[in-house]
Amino acid sequence: MSTPLIELQNVSRIYDLGHIQVAALQGVDLDVQEGEFLAIVGPSGSGKSTLMNIVGCLDRPTAGTYTLNGTPVAELDDDGLARLRSRTIGFVFQNYNLLPRTSALENVATPLLYQGVSRKDRLARAGAALERLGLGDRVNHVPTELSGGQQQRVAIARALVTEPALLLADEPTGNLDSSSGADVITLLHELNAAGRTIVMITHDVDVARVASRQVHVRDGRLIA
Amino acid sequence: MKAMELVRLALSRLGSSRLRAALTMLGVIIGVASVVSLVAVGQGATSGITKQLQGLGTNLLTVNPGATTTGFTRGAAGSASTLTIADAQAIGGLDGVAAVEPETSTSQFVVAGTQNTTTTIVGTTGAYTTVRNFNVWQGSTLNGAAVDATLNEAVLGATTADDLGLGASSIGSTIKIGGLPFRVVGILQAKGSTGPTSQDDQILVPYTTVEDHFVPGKTVRSIGISVASAGQIDTVKGEITTLLETRHGIAAGGTNDFTIADQSQLLTTVSSVSDLLTVLLAGIASISLLVGGIGIMNIMLVSVRERTREIGIRKAIGARGRDILAQFLVEALVLSLLGGLIGIAIGVGASYLIGQLAGWGFVFNPITPLVAVLFSLLVGIVFGVWPARQAARLDPIVALRYE
Repeated sequence: MSTPLIELQNVSRIYDLGHIQVAALQGVDLDVQEGEFLAIVGPSGSGKSTLMNIVGCLDRPTAGTYTLNGTPVAELDDDGLARLRSRTIGFVFQNYNLLPRTSALENVATPLLYQGVSRKDRLARAGAALERLGLGDRVNHVPTELSGGQQQRVAIARALVTEPALLLADEPTGNLDSSSGADVITLLHELNAAGRTIVMITHDVDVARVASRQVHVRDGRLIA
Repeated sequence: MKAMELVRLALSRLGSSRLRAALTMLGVIIGVASVVSLVAVGQGATSGITKQLQGLGTNLLTVNPGATTTGFTRGAAGSASTLTIADAQAIGGLDGVAAVEPETSTSQFVVAGTQNTTTTIVGTTGAYTTVRNFNVWQGSTLNGAAVDATLNEAVLGATTADDLGLGASSIGSTIKIGGLPFRVVGILQAKGSTGPTSQDDQILVPYTTVEDHFVPGKTVRSIGISVASAGQIDTVKGEITTLLETRHGIAAGGTNDFTIADQSQLLTTVSSVSDLLTVLLAGIASISLLVGGIGIMNIMLVSVRERTREIGIRKAIGARGRDILAQFLVEALVLSLLGGLIGIAIGVGASYLIGQLAGWGFVFNPITPLVAVLFSLLVGIVFGVWPARQAARLDPIVALRYE
């Protein structure tokens, strides 16, 4: 078996609130292979958001090791984390998190800005990414002019424009009606079928069912 | 990230909230405009005063009699009558003296046809116009022959000619000064007044004539000397002092019975006062620039708070702390620089208008706008750094959850 894309070993995340220490994650071991579609399922407060922050390199574990795409994350400083996020991870959020007052095209092109890609190439690649997701006629619309489903597709285009090794989706259907949500799930499924590694966090067992593998989180621990 | 990208980002951001950007810039605009225009006003006033002083005569030295001392009472400067025509002639022989003219004076009733006036009659020579920097408008100045021959010839100041209803056609006509007939040989160009006494209200006649008819004696009120070049003023002053001390029999170190007034001293004093005024004005104006800078900082802090989520998104999709820092800093810089440029335009326009109204013309010093722009950039950096650091330090997780 090849080296996993994601390798968490005995990872803990403890929040020190001064008078009390809260363990959001305790001794988590998790491997994700390239090409997998993993769903991390758990109710709110289970620690799945903390897990996603660590997997997404927005946070560091307080104990244990995390290796992403061969890079040991604990050793990186903030700039190193930013670079790793920029090159390796595409984020899709529950509330889309598009830049306000900014066109779909500029939104999708922004991750490339932080990779130092020239403006011309950025816009060309962003345009192509939007085209692939069927938003070719919406490139100049700002987020408020788009429906929820369209905004989430713009967000997915933005996550994919850098061709990341990992697509990290946090409740991607949480704010969508059932039909738009189903579209997004289908889209993720297609992307995975085309070879993209996807980690999706959700509390919805129905949504989790499309994934090729599911893990459940409860009280900061993984359960089978 | 490249500077161009940052500027583009800043401009598009400012473009999306124009009113706020304009109001924020207004502080810097007012600050820079007031610095630029007040410095220009200060410099314009300086150059205006300097020009007027130079108009009194180039490289002019004036020798006046000293004070009389009667017993233990010292009289006012000029009260003694110790200077003579001979002194003036002796000064004329010194090195570095370009022209010299003695002046005696009297006040007389003047009649020309049906018009009359009372004015100052200055007994002098033709060199008067050179030394006192007058131009002859019509006719000519007094000539040597008229002085030698004690002729009743008169050169009129512009105001006096006006008062008497005399113009270009009056050259050669006869007026009466103190009841005696004088031939008008010339009219001087107006110079404008410096203070309450107008230099244009006087009549020049040969000093020999004044001596004969009005003020007997060989003493003079003052001696005007035009020094050949500004660099020689101090030397010539020394020469005159030595000469007059010898002529008047005063031992070195004794109390001189004359004083020598130096135009350049006056000029230095006046310009140092107006330079001080300029610095003072600029200092006051700088305070408004400071207030403008604080306005920028205020808006940038509000902006960081409002855009917390945007910062979180940018960080999540790969922005480093320094990218965020640069973005906010450039935004503050663009605000202050744009404000600075608009401020310069307004300031230069205002100083042009003021210069025209005040009559000293438009004094444009390119250093002022340059300094103003650099200063407004500095304001942008100083007041932009702190909010930008706040933005750069935000934790992306917290920022993403911020509502």
